[in-house]
Amino acid sequence: MLLEVRKLTKRFGGLTAVADVSFGISKGEIVGIFGPNGSGKTTLLNLVAGLMPPTEGGVLWKSVPIQGLPAHEVAASGLVKTFQNPQLFAELTVLEHLHIAAHLELKRRLGWRRLATLVRPDLAQAGHERAAQIVRICRLEASRDRLAAEISYGEEKMLGVAMALMCEPELLLLDEPASGLGAGEIENLEAVLRDLKAQGTTLCIIDHKVGFLGRLADRAIGLHHGAKIAEGAPDEVLRNPDVVMAYLGHSRDRI
Amino acid sequence: MRFQNRFLFFALAVALLALPLGVKSDVVLTILVFSWLQGMLAVSFNLIFGFTGQLTMFHAAAFGIAGYATHLSMQHLGVGYWTGTVLAALFVSVLSIIVGTICFRFRLKEFYFAIVTLAFSEMARLTVLNWNSVTNGTLGINLQEKPWLFGFKVNDTVSWYYLSLVALAVTLLVCSRLVHSWMGRCFSAIRLNDELGDTLGINVFRYKLAAFVAGNFIAAVTGSLYAYYLGSLEPGFLSIDQSLGIVAMVLLGGRSSVFAPVVGAVLLTALPHLIHFSAEVRSIVYGSILILTILVMPQGIYGSIAALLRKRHAS
Ligand SMILES: Nc1ncnc2c1ncn2[C@@H]1O[C@H](COP(=O)(O)OP(=O)(O)O)[C@@H](O)[C@H]1O
Ligand SMILES: [Mg+2]
Repeated sequence: MLLEVRKLTKRFGGLTAVADVSFGISKGEIVGIFGPNGSGKTTLLNLVAGLMPPTEGGVLWKSVPIQGLPAHEVAASGLVKTFQNPQLFAELTVLEHLHIAAHLELKRRLGWRRLATLVRPDLAQAGHERAAQIVRICRLEASRDRLAAEISYGEEKMLGVAMALMCEPELLLLDEPASGLGAGEIENLEAVLRDLKAQGTTLCIIDHKVGFLGRLADRAIGLHHGAKIAEGAPDEVLRNPDVVMAYLGHSRDRI
Repeated sequence: MRFQNRFLFFALAVALLALPLGVKSDVVLTILVFSWLQGMLAVSFNLIFGFTGQLTMFHAAAFGIAGYATHLSMQHLGVGYWTGTVLAALFVSVLSIIVGTICFRFRLKEFYFAIVTLAFSEMARLTVLNWNSVTNGTLGINLQEKPWLFGFKVNDTVSWYYLSLVALAVTLLVCSRLVHSWMGRCFSAIRLNDELGDTLGINVFRYKLAAFVAGNFIAAVTGSLYAYYLGSLEPGFLSIDQSLGIVAMVLLGGRSSVFAPVVGAVLLTALPHLIHFSAEVRSIVYGSILILTILVMPQGIYGSIAALLRKRHAS
């Protein structure tokens, strides 16, 4: 088991955002977590990435507890997450974002010897090649040299994924990568995620509806009011009466 | 474009190196020595402020403490000027690590970071002011010694001109290497969105501290040069005015490039000599220039001209 989530609970004052959630993720899997808005998905992801201390429960990453670790150490250990609302460096181009995100790769490859690149910049070259490759994988070639402030919302989200990929994650946590995207952009995203799966990256993807996860995920987890209400194959979970109830008031195809 | 830049750069370098051959006026050369030293101060400040986004008010302290530390180590440890300067810069680095660690561990940002570094700076100034037995208080210290370099005593204005010019060039080279390296990219990440940088595996604390220590180290070397050129030391070296003067140079020159602050440093150093104002009027003139720059060209003089040239080039 790559990641083990044990009885996680998170309360904000009187509000229980995540209630006693347990699940695991094995290497090479795509796990989808879905639930209506406010069901605690983002909070759960932040807990899993160690960005927030849980009220109760714990997270084991490669059998080691990661609570309380600073975010950069979590990322360095191979657990990388993206943001629901794209977080970018406004003044920089797409490619410059990826060069910043090459930090961990350089650190892993050279260790303290990376200080030598201050005198010999050519030693840092590999990160730039990888950036060019990831621009291609994420289909961002057309906007490679444009400023983050000038690209479309879909490209912003894809850039978030691209930066996370630069970190060479063993498990990539994606917070609603498809929300706000047009149909064409979702297709694009799906293709990118399938490529990643084919290369053996483990993924945990969050979305507020099942549609796109249903086609992609090996396993789905349904969340409602912070609690896990279903887990299993995506189409099975979709038929689960609790899940249908959770989305009641929405038409069936919104689920 | 690149070739043109190179060419301009070499032309400028040759002109500056040849300048004392043509300009015999001691006044002009003196102004230029002060300009180069202030330029070092502004460029190193900008490493922390413009590139890493931390408005430090500790720069004058690093500058002034180093002057005293150089003098004290020469006097009490019997070392030469250059060893004294290195010791002073190391001492300032240790102080910066302490001050930086306190500020960055408590995640002080923007206004709070400025205020706390200002408080540390004032602590240093008051210590220097009141520790009479060591610093001679308000009266300051006269420095008789001059540095020796390759068997020459750096004494006359022309030698100081070359020494300060080379020191400024080394500062520009080091800062430009840093800024364009992976470490410079960490600095940008911290300035633009440190939370994102954190999730990308960048140790925000470590690289904030790296920028802070590197900037203060250069300020320390500058302080040591400045004090021995001037031939005296006084607590005013560490004053708030000094810190604000550095901020003014950077805002006037521009903060988005390594070189830009030098433009501000030269202008603000030369201006009082070109036009004579009384002290009160001078503050008003300075203040007005600053306000105008911030309102009319927030990128500073260098930034605005660079933007203009780029636009020309594109059309
Ligand atoms: N930092 C916080 N402080 C207080 N309440 C929060 C905080 N973060 C989330 N919540 C609340 O927790 C619940 C779950 O939020 P969230 O995890 O963002 O849900 P989702 O991502 O599924 O839309 C919501 O009711 C939200 O208002
Ligand atoms: Mg959310």
